[in-house]
Amino acid sequence: MSGAAQVYRVWATGRWWRELGFVLSGAVLRLPTFALALLGIAACALSVVIFGLALLTGLLALARRTPRYFRAVARKLLGQDWPDVEPASSFPLADSTAWRALAYCFLGFVLIYTAAYLTIIALGSGLAALTYPIWWFLDVNPLEALDAHTWAQTWIAAGEGALLLFALPWFIRLVVLADSWLVRTLLQPSRAARRIAQLEAGRAALQADAAALLRRVERDLHDGTQARLVSLGVQLARIEHKTDQAEVRDLAADSRDTVTEALTELRDIVRGLHPPALDDGLEVALSTLAGRSAVPAAVAVDLAGRPPDATASAIYFTVAELLTNVARHAGATRAWITVTDDATRLMLTVRDDGHGGAAETSGADGSGAGTGLAGLMRRAAALDGELHIASPAGGPTIVTMTLPREY
Amino acid sequence: MRVAIAEDNPLLRDGIVLLLGEHDIEVVAAVSDGAALLEAVKKEQPDAAVVDVRMPPTHTDEGLRAALTIRAAYPSIGVLVFSQWVETSYARRLLSENAGKVGYLLKDRIVSTDEFVGALRRVADGGTALDPEVVRHLLAAPQVDAGLARLSAREREILGLLAEGRSNVAIAESLHLAERSVEKHVTAIFTKLDLIHDRSDHRRVLAVLRYLKG
Repeated sequence: MSGAAQVYRVWATGRWWRELGFVLSGAVLRLPTFALALLGIAACALSVVIFGLALLTGLLALARRTPRYFRAVARKLLGQDWPDVEPASSFPLADSTAWRALAYCFLGFVLIYTAAYLTIIALGSGLAALTYPIWWFLDVNPLEALDAHTWAQTWIAAGEGALLLFALPWFIRLVVLADSWLVRTLLQPSRAARRIAQLEAGRAALQADAAALLRRVERDLHDGTQARLVSLGVQLARIEHKTDQAEVRDLAADSRDTVTEALTELRDIVRGLHPPALDDGLEVALSTLAGRSAVPAAVAVDLAGRPPDATASAIYFTVAELLTNVARHAGATRAWITVTDDATRLMLTVRDDGHGGAAETSGADGSGAGTGLAGLMRRAAALDGELHIASPAGGPTIVTMTLPREY
Repeated sequence: MRVAIAEDNPLLRDGIVLLLGEHDIEVVAAVSDGAALLEAVKKEQPDAAVVDVRMPPTHTDEGLRAALTIRAAYPSIGVLVFSQWVETSYARRLLSENAGKVGYLLKDRIVSTDEFVGALRRVADGGTALDPEVVRHLLAAPQVDAGLARLSAREREILGLLAEGRSNVAIAESLHLAERSVEKHVTAIFTKLDLIHDRSDHRRVLAVLRYLKG
């Protein structure tokens, strides 16, 4: 009877029941995803015609959603968890995530279905064999499958049944392990993808921190340092006003001039840190820039939301730099600034009616505009964006910056 | 002259109160936010209000909004708005709705006491005061307005000084010109901007507005 005790001990664990439930329910729950995989194979065969390609695209989009479906079951029954897959790339047929998920839909079903089939047979025959002595005693043969001729032989059969039932949990565990391996290789984001996600999150946090820091410094300088300097200036002015001694008056006046210079410097520093006008929104800030521009510039901002500080600040400084370039090099009489967005991107366009050749200009003198444009490209790249310059000789120059939309 | 002051930095607020007191200007209220200013103005009916743009609770443009409210509700009260930085759109908002009795200066100008007190008196008397820095920014952009485009460099310069709220005498002094020739230039500006002959002060304001709206 020690075999039965062993079986009992293993069977009493919750883990075994959950794993059994996972395998048996999987045979049913994975039917739809298996159908998806079969359709996928059919669509691959059909992909020589346009209809097949369209079908395949749709199936891949569906396949991309299956990891969440599988994860919901695995989370509940096995306590497994894994991060979301990375967002879809632009071209669905080249989406390796979707292809891998589709492969899992097929292989995962084959594995679980086979395992479930074997499990049910093992459960049935194992239980029947284990209880064979009782059946013998009652003189019934429920499955007509047992062919013992003596009472003793029934006990051998019972032992075999016990062994089978004892082995079953280990078989199930093996199946679950195999499935986990499939999940790791096919459903979870690849190691590189996870690393990229990690780095992207880190960079976003850094950018937000930097923007917040600059903003705080700007605020401290304006509300603290500037106010104190102005107070100091006011006090010096009062000394000037009150004193009868010409020497003191001159000294105070000189000091007051120094304070004024310090205030001017402070204003220039702050302008380079975080343009305060950005607090009132991108449109106000860009209008201020345009108002300050040597070449008349029209501003049109049409955004569905408020971009994060880092993005708004990048757009602001890019426009500032580009307007300076337009005034210095383009020989333009007008400039147009537009900021628009769609579902995923934010686009800035700065256009002028000048003589073009912006890229050549930078190549020729090697400084000025060149370093400026390169700097702008770096700034765009740091935010995962791009900057394009179209500036044929004779003009016009159109600079486009595209940034990911994150709001 | 009686004025109300709204400035959230206590050090600076006290400084301004004392400074104005020494220039024979009576400060009837010194408060630290827009709502308190509106209350004080309602109660005291001063000749002018000195307002910081950025004040609690949002630290954005509540001062400017309070100033616009005062101008709309009490046509007799002038407002002089102080900003921490040059913001031409603020200046436009202030001036596009009001011809006169408004001023927009950088906070730094408080240090230049004479300019500050002069601007405050001008605003209370019905004139305008615009920060030279703001004017410089507006001037830097060649105007699209055809009339403004016709102005000569000297005339643009004089228009800029007009926009700051200076009188002909003051312009003549700062440009080292005879007052008579300043008058000639001003008349030329009016002609080029097609401003029909009216009371000359009114035309001055119109010229400035044309130039701000450009």
